[in-house]
Amino acid sequence: MVIAALYFAATVQIPVSTLGGAVGPHAFPTVLAFLLGIIGVSLSLRSLFARRLVHTKDHTPSESEAKPLRALGMLGIGALYIPFAWLFGYVPALFLLITAIALYERAAPSWRTATIAMGGSLLFWLLFVVVLGVRQPQSILF
Amino acid sequence: MELFQAFTLLTTTPLIVVALIGLIWGILGGALPGISPSISMALLLPFTYTLAPMLAIVLLATAYIGAEYGGSIPAILIRTPGTNAAAATVLDGYEMRFQGRAGEALGISLWSGVIGGLVGLAMLILLTEPLSRLALAFRPMSYFALGILGLSVIVSLSGKSLLKGAAAAILGLMVATVGTDPNSGVGRFTFGSPELLDGIAPIFVMVGLFAVSELMTRSGVPASALGKQEPFRVRLPSLKLIMRLKRSQSIGALIGTFEGLMPGAGGSIASFLSYNEAKRWSKQPEEFGHGSPEGIAAPETSNNTVASTALIPLLSFGIPGSNSAAILLGGLLIHGLLPGPRLFEENSDIILGLYTGSFVAVVSLLIVGVLVLPVCIWLVNRPRAYLSGFIFALVLSGIYTVHTTLFDVGIVLVAGLFGYAMRFFGFPFLPAVLGVVLGGLVESNYRRSMDLSGGEHAIFLEDPIAIGLLSVAFLFVVGSLVREGREAMRAGRKMQS
Repeated sequence: MVIAALYFAATVQIPVSTLGGAVGPHAFPTVLAFLLGIIGVSLSLRSLFARRLVHTKDHTPSESEAKPLRALGMLGIGALYIPFAWLFGYVPALFLLITAIALYERAAPSWRTATIAMGGSLLFWLLFVVVLGVRQPQSILF
Repeated sequence: MELFQAFTLLTTTPLIVVALIGLIWGILGGALPGISPSISMALLLPFTYTLAPMLAIVLLATAYIGAEYGGSIPAILIRTPGTNAAAATVLDGYEMRFQGRAGEALGISLWSGVIGGLVGLAMLILLTEPLSRLALAFRPMSYFALGILGLSVIVSLSGKSLLKGAAAAILGLMVATVGTDPNSGVGRFTFGSPELLDGIAPIFVMVGLFAVSELMTRSGVPASALGKQEPFRVRLPSLKLIMRLKRSQSIGALIGTFEGLMPGAGGSIASFLSYNEAKRWSKQPEEFGHGSPEGIAAPETSNNTVASTALIPLLSFGIPGSNSAAILLGGLLIHGLLPGPRLFEENSDIILGLYTGSFVAVVSLLIVGVLVLPVCIWLVNRPRAYLSGFIFALVLSGIYTVHTTLFDVGIVLVAGLFGYAMRFFGFPFLPAVLGVVLGGLVESNYRRSMDLSGGEHAIFLEDPIAIGLLSVAFLFVVGSLVREGREAMRAGRKMQS
């Protein structure tokens, strides 16, 4: 319901255009916002009703699933790649990413880990930049 | 006579070598998330300038075939669809890998890819003319209805709750509305960001939902809880399994043939629809989503069929139905070849070369696959601590290549967070993914229809194809509601007793 409300608020701000045709650029998003709103209300009602009937438990991670905080930590490491790639460039950022994830996943901090991370980052550089010839982030420092 | 000419082409020109290079290049591109079939082909375009026209077209067409197949490899092994069309393969493919059956899953996708490729090629050779007429019968109303049908099928069959499926589909459609409105040029939901003007590519959402959320979910989980180690070899399906897969492959081939003809429809819709139809007609529908071989066979047959049938409108009318077909059109134009009926009359040698090269590529898939795939299985069985880092690195590098901006990397991470939340609250991914894929098709054709009718919705009731497709969509939703209601009543009765 929150997403529907936010989306509708943004839909209202879509400028009107004379080139918009018979229904305009805001028509389809408006329908989507209303539909999601209706579904949101229905889901909430159903959830309330179901909870009254039975004491349903919230989702608890199984043994093959990480706890939410740990999962968010993994995403955080991925997010750090963005500033590191911008600052240091592709290969160093990739090296840091692979090393950080390996340590986060309980690999021992050793030369082996560092060597694997360096080898991996060079392998990706070779594959994307040299073989495929596609650009990767470049450092703003050097 | 033509068989003899094809044989002459194989023995007197480097057609086999070019077809193999195109195929292997395509597989590599398809297997890398972010490198779509069209990008794989575009990277080859500069090399085609110096080639003879026939070889140039064969190189591009075989790269397309390879890329459509290649997308299934990371989908099965690391839950990352290499291409949009491979998203449906993730569901059962990755589940089989989780059960220590990656070799079997890869064997099924390889076999289905070959079957799909051969069927698609046969359709291309035999039915180009009549099938093209069918494509022309589709008007904007029909395309709109086709999109709605695709969504309703996925929503009604992809999860236990119709409401959650519908919410996920609408979220996907919402994502598809981000960017410049193609009709009016007005920016929507861009919040002043120039990076959002082009919209959010479906591959970002898919990689975020499937791959990033998977990396998050499995973080810190001991390897023993994440499936078994397995022998590093590909297991092609046994005769018994081949017989079992026949039905789902037929469904995939049929839907792939039909979807390939529709400009803009493409392999993604075909593979999703095939997955759901295969589930509906299967004798073991309960296995779907839990490692069903048919769940791999149907979408893989389908998207590999599309790789050939998508060339039908291109060669007949010069209408490129997808980005990849547009690159191929570029390749034809570079060499002064204009698609259309005259191409078949005046350059029959090039058409014959295209058919022959595609045949070589499809058949070679089996050999190349059997050689390459064991290495891939070995790679994904490395220690998890390093594997997770490599998968993240691959995902982020691949995504960056799409527009070469770190902004896209951010979008994928946000999509990953959404994916994790959806997984946590039990929302299915598939409707959201298909919503993003179909959003443009549904909205643009809805608005075209409205423009044609001056804003009268009755126009949808004047188009027989649209009426048919919308009726089927309605039946799917009603059927699903009835099924859900029955299950709820059964559960209620159980609780009372």
